[in-house]
Amino acid sequence: MNLASRKLINRVFTSVGVLSILLMAATLVVIMGPIVERGLGAFIFRGTVEHRRVLLQQFGRGDREALEAESREVAAARRPVYDLLEAFEAQLTQGPAELRRQYRQPLNELKQHLQGLLGPFPGKPEPVLLRDRYGETRWDQARARCDHIVYAEHYDYSDPSRMGLLVRTPRAEQFAGTVLEPLFTYVPAHLEEMLRPRWTCYARFLTDVSYDSHFFGGIGPELLGTFYLTIGAILFAVPLGVVSAIYLTEYARPGSRVVALLRTCISTLAGVPSIVFGLFGLAFFINTLRVSPSKSVLAGSLTLGLLILPLVIRAAEEAIRSVPETYKLAALSLGATRWRTMVTVLLPAALPGILTGIVISMGRAAGETAPIIFTAAVSVGQPLALWQTFTEPTPALPWNIFNLCSEHQAVDEIRHVQYGMVFTLVLLVLLLNSTAIFLRARISRKLRG
Amino acid sequence: MSSGLAASFLISRSAGRRKRLAGLLGHAALFLTASSSALAILFIFYYIFRDALPFFRQRGLREFLFSTAWYPSSPEPAFGALAIFYGSGLVTAGAVLFAVPLGVSAAICLSDTLPFRARQMVKPVIEILAAIPSVAFGFLALVVLAPHLQQHGGTMLAVVAGVLGLPVAALGTWVASDLCTTRWTGRTRQVLRGVAVLVLGAIALLALYHGVSFLKALQIASGTNALNVALVLGIMALPTIVSVSEDALQAVGRELREGAYALGATRAETMLFVVIPAARSGIAAAIILGIMRAIGETMVVWMASGNAAQIPTPWYNLLQPVRTLTATIAGDMGEADHVTGSARYHVLFAMALCLVVISYTLNLVSEHFVRRGGRVGRR
Amino acid sequence: MVTTAMPQPVRPVRREQQAPAANPPAAPLPETAHVRTDNFSVYYHDHPAVNRVTLTIPAGKVTAIIGPSGCGKSTLLRAINRMNDFVPGARAEGQLWYCGQDVYGPNCDPVELRRRIGMVFQKPNPFPKSIFRNVAWAPKINGYRGDLEELVERSLRQAALWDEVKDKLDRSALALSGGQQQRLCIARAIAMQPDVLLMDEPCSALDPIATAHIEDLIDQLKTQYTVVLVTHNMQQAGRVSDRTAFMYLGELVEVDATDIIFTRPNNPRTQDYITGRFG
Ligand SMILES: Nc1ncnc2c1ncn2[C@@H]1O[C@H](COP(=O)(O)OP(=O)(O)OP(=O)(O)O)[C@@H](O)[C@H]1O
Ligand SMILES: [Mg+2]
Repeated sequence: MNLASRKLINRVFTSVGVLSILLMAATLVVIMGPIVERGLGAFIFRGTVEHRRVLLQQFGRGDREALEAESREVAAARRPVYDLLEAFEAQLTQGPAELRRQYRQPLNELKQHLQGLLGPFPGKPEPVLLRDRYGETRWDQARARCDHIVYAEHYDYSDPSRMGLLVRTPRAEQFAGTVLEPLFTYVPAHLEEMLRPRWTCYARFLTDVSYDSHFFGGIGPELLGTFYLTIGAILFAVPLGVVSAIYLTEYARPGSRVVALLRTCISTLAGVPSIVFGLFGLAFFINTLRVSPSKSVLAGSLTLGLLILPLVIRAAEEAIRSVPETYKLAALSLGATRWRTMVTVLLPAALPGILTGIVISMGRAAGETAPIIFTAAVSVGQPLALWQTFTEPTPALPWNIFNLCSEHQAVDEIRHVQYGMVFTLVLLVLLLNSTAIFLRARISRKLRG
Repeated sequence: MSSGLAASFLISRSAGRRKRLAGLLGHAALFLTASSSALAILFIFYYIFRDALPFFRQRGLREFLFSTAWYPSSPEPAFGALAIFYGSGLVTAGAVLFAVPLGVSAAICLSDTLPFRARQMVKPVIEILAAIPSVAFGFLALVVLAPHLQQHGGTMLAVVAGVLGLPVAALGTWVASDLCTTRWTGRTRQVLRGVAVLVLGAIALLALYHGVSFLKALQIASGTNALNVALVLGIMALPTIVSVSEDALQAVGRELREGAYALGATRAETMLFVVIPAARSGIAAAIILGIMRAIGETMVVWMASGNAAQIPTPWYNLLQPVRTLTATIAGDMGEADHVTGSARYHVLFAMALCLVVISYTLNLVSEHFVRRGGRVGRR
Repeated sequence: MVTTAMPQPVRPVRREQQAPAANPPAAPLPETAHVRTDNFSVYYHDHPAVNRVTLTIPAGKVTAIIGPSGCGKSTLLRAINRMNDFVPGARAEGQLWYCGQDVYGPNCDPVELRRRIGMVFQKPNPFPKSIFRNVAWAPKINGYRGDLEELVERSLRQAALWDEVKDKLDRSALALSGGQQQRLCIARAIAMQPDVLLMDEPCSALDPIATAHIEDLIDQLKTQYTVVLVTHNMQQAGRVSDRTAFMYLGELVEVDATDIIFTRPNNPRTQDYITGRFG
C-alpha cells in the first residue's frame, strides 16, 4: 500500500471517530429536544378559559369574578354555534326521515367534537365524567380539535397492497346546503373569542393532584411517590453499602478468598436485570417476608435499595480507597483505634466521593421502573402521608409514564401530561447527576488545593 | 517515667480478652453487613429458582425451549418460549451491531484523538446518556420514533444507507484498487489503477443504488418493531461501551503507542494493530457489559417492540414486531398475579431464571476478561 | 548544637554482631533505658528488614538512627509503636521493651501504646481539617478532660508554631507551608502528651530554614521527651542527637554517643558511611 492510501485511511479512521462522537452528541440532542420542548409545554402553554375554569372549580384557585365576566363574554361568542346547531336540528326534525338518517351519524360526530372543544352544551344535564364537563383547556389542543371540526378524516384501504391512506374531507361539504354550513367558517374564525387563550405558567403542575385519570391537574402524587421510593431506597442501601465498603477496604484481608467471593457477588448483583429484581421483590419481600399485605412503598424501596446497593458499595469503596494512606497512618499513630480512624478521619475525607455515589444512585433509583411494577406502583392514587408508605402502594413517575402512554384510554389527549412527566423525571435525574459532577469537581479541587 | 506510665498501655488479661472479643464481634458484624449483597444474590437465585421449579415440573423443558406456540392464557395453554428467546436475542444482536462499532470508535477518538478540553466536553454527553431513565427512552421510542418509522421508515433507512454507503464505497474502491495493483510499478500501475477505480467504482455505485432504492420502497407495517427497539437499546448501551472501552484503551499505556509511532506507523495503524489488540480484553468486557444492559432492559422493549411472540420472517427481519423475555415478564405478571401457583405464573419465573443465568454467565465472562486485561496492563 | 558533655551510658553498649545469640534473657532495665530491643527482628514475609537488633534508647535523650536507604530504619522505628501491624505480611520476632514491658507481649494494647509513643512522619500529613482540630484531635479521642484550647495553644507554642497560626486556627491545615505543616504534625503528636516521639526523616521534605526550625524544636523537646530520629542528614544527626545508631542491611552496626560515632567510630563500616565512602 502506498503512503497516500495509508494517509487516507488514517484520515478516514480519525474522522470516523470524530463522526461517531458527533453522532452521539446529535443523538443526545435529538432525545433531549422533544423532551425539553414538549415537556416545558406542560408547564408553560396557552391555557383557555376552560383551564381557568378547571382551576377554579376543582382546585379553588383563581379570580372568581374575573372568570365569571370572562365566561359571559365567551358564552356570547359561543351563542351563534349553539344557535346554528339548534336551527339545524329543527330543520332535521321537520325534514324527511331520510334526511335524519343521512345526517345522524355525521351530526353526532360533530357534536362530540364541539363538546370536546367547548364543553357541554348549555341547558344539558351535567355529564358524569369530569372530562366531559370541560372543553379543551389548552390552545394547541383546541386548534387540533378545531381542525377535526372543519375536516372529517378517514382511512382509505382500497389498495390492499399499500397501507391505509389518510383522506381529509371538509365537513362543510358534508353539510353543504344545510343551515349548518356557516358553522365551519364561524368556528375557526372565532375560536379565540370562544376560548380566550392566554399564556399560562402552570408551575403547580408539579404538586397538583390529577383528576379523572390525568385529564386535569398535575403530577403531584407521582412526584411524591418517586420521592418516597428514592429516599426509601437510599435509606436502605446507604448504610448497608457504606458499611460493606468499610469492611472491604479496611477490615477484610486484601486478596483473601472471602473478598474475591464478595466482589463476584457484588458485580453479579449489579448485572441482574432490573425486572428480575421486581420479581424477587414480589416473591421475597411481599409473598415471603410479608413486609406489607400487597404492593407498598416499603416493598418497592427495599427492592430498589437492593438494585442500587452495588452502586453504593462501589462508589463508597472507591472514595475510601482514594483517601491518602497518610491520613490513616497519622490517625493510627495518634492512638486511634481502627474504627475511630475510619469514623473520624477516613469517612469525613471520603464523604464527598460517597455523596457523589449516593446522588448518582438516587438518580438510578428514581428512574427505574421494572422493579416497582410488582412491588410498589399503581396507576392512580392520592398522595400518601408518611406513615402510609409502609402499607400503601403509590403512583410513581416512571410507572405512570409507561401507563399513560400505553394503557390510557385517551393517549393522544394527554400527551402533554406524558411529556411533562418525562421532562420532570429526566430533569430530576439530570439535576441529581449534575450535583454529583459538581461534588466531584469540588473533590478534585480539594485534592489539588 | 517508669512502671506507672507503663501500666497505661498494659491491660489485664481479662480486659484484653474482653477487648479482643469486642473487636471480634465488631468484625463479625461488619462482615455480616458486607455479606448482605452475597445474601441478596443467593436469595434472588433461590426465590427465582423456587418459583420456576414448579413450571419445569409441570411442563418440562422441551416445550419451553423448542416450541414457538405461546398461548399462556388459552384454555389449552401452550408455553413455547422459543420465539421469545429469539426476540431477546434478535433485539440484543441488533443493538450490539449498531452500538459496538459506534461505541468503540467513539472510545478510540475519545482516548487518542480529542484534545483534553474536547474530552471534558464529551464526557458529560456520555454521562447524561447513561443517566436518562429507561422509561424515558421507551417513551421516545414509542411516541416519537415509532410513528416516524411507520410513516417515513423506508426513506429514513435509504438516507442512512446512502450517507453511510457513499463514503464507504469511495474508500473501498480507492483502497481495493491500490491493493490489487501492488504487483506493478510506475506508469503501468497508474493506468491499471485508473481502470480498477473505474470498474470497482461503477460496481459499488450500482450496488449502492439498488440497495438504496430497495430500502426506499420498504413498507413498514408497524413502527413498534425490532429495529426501533434495537436502535434505542443500542443508544442505551453506548455509554457503557464507550466508557469501559475507553478505560481499557487508556490502560494500554503510552510506551506501547510511542513504540509504534516511532516505527513510522500512522495513528490508525497504531490503534488498529497495536493498541486495540492490547486492549481487546477490556473492549470485550465493554461489549459484554453492553449486551447485559441490552438484554436486561425491560421498559423500552415492553413499550416499543410490538410484543408479538413470533419469529420474524425471514429470521433476520428487524422490521417486524417481536417479544422479549423481560417484556413478557413485565407484561404477563399483572395478569398472572392473581393465578399464583398456575403454570402461567411460574413460567414467568422460569424466564427470569433464564435471564439471571444468562446475566450471571455474561458477568463471569466479563470478569474473566477484565482480569485478563488487568494482567496485560500490569505487565 | 552538638552536645559536648555527653553523660556516659551506664552500661556498655552491646553490639549485635559480636554476640547475637548469646544475650542473657531480660536483663534488669537500666534507669535511663526507655525503649530497649533485644535480638529484635522484623520480617516482611520472609525477608528480614530488621535483623536481630539489640539497642537501648535512653530516656530524655535524642537518639538518631542513620544508615543507607533500605537498611530498615523506618521499619525499626515503626516497630516501636507497632505501626507495622498494619503492613500486611509484617511480623516481629525477639523482644522490644518499653518502660520495661514487652511491647509485643500478650498484655500490650497497641492502641494505648501509640498514645504513649507519638510519631512524626517523613512527609507532613495533617488531616484535612482546621489547624485547631488537627491539634485537638488526639486529646479529644483520648478523652482529654482539661482545657482543650489551652492544650492546643501549649502544644503549638512548644512546636514553635503558635505565633504563625494563632490568628487562623480555624483555617484548613492544608493551607500551611510544608515546614509549618510538619511543625503542626509535631504539635499534634505533642498534644497527645506522649513520652516518646518517633520522627522518621521529619525534615526530608523541607527547605533549610524550615529544617533549622525543626532542629531547634527537637533540641527543646528533649527536655521533656525521649526522641528517636531517623535521618539521612549526617550533619543533622551530629547537631541534634545525643546518641547515634548506625544500621546497615537490617543490622545494627554500632551505637554510641554521637561525638564518638562521628569522630572515632569503632566499626570501619560506620567510618566508611560517615565519611561518604560507601558503595
Ligand atoms: N511494606 C513493605 N513490604 C515489604 N517490604 C518492605 C515494606 N516496607 C519496607 N520493605 C522493605 O524493608 C526494607 C527496609 O525498609 P525501610 O523502609 O525500613 O528502609 P529505610 O531504612 O527506612 O529506607 P529509607 O532511608 O529509604 O527510608 C527494604 O528492603 C524494603 O524493601
Ligand atoms: Mg524510611
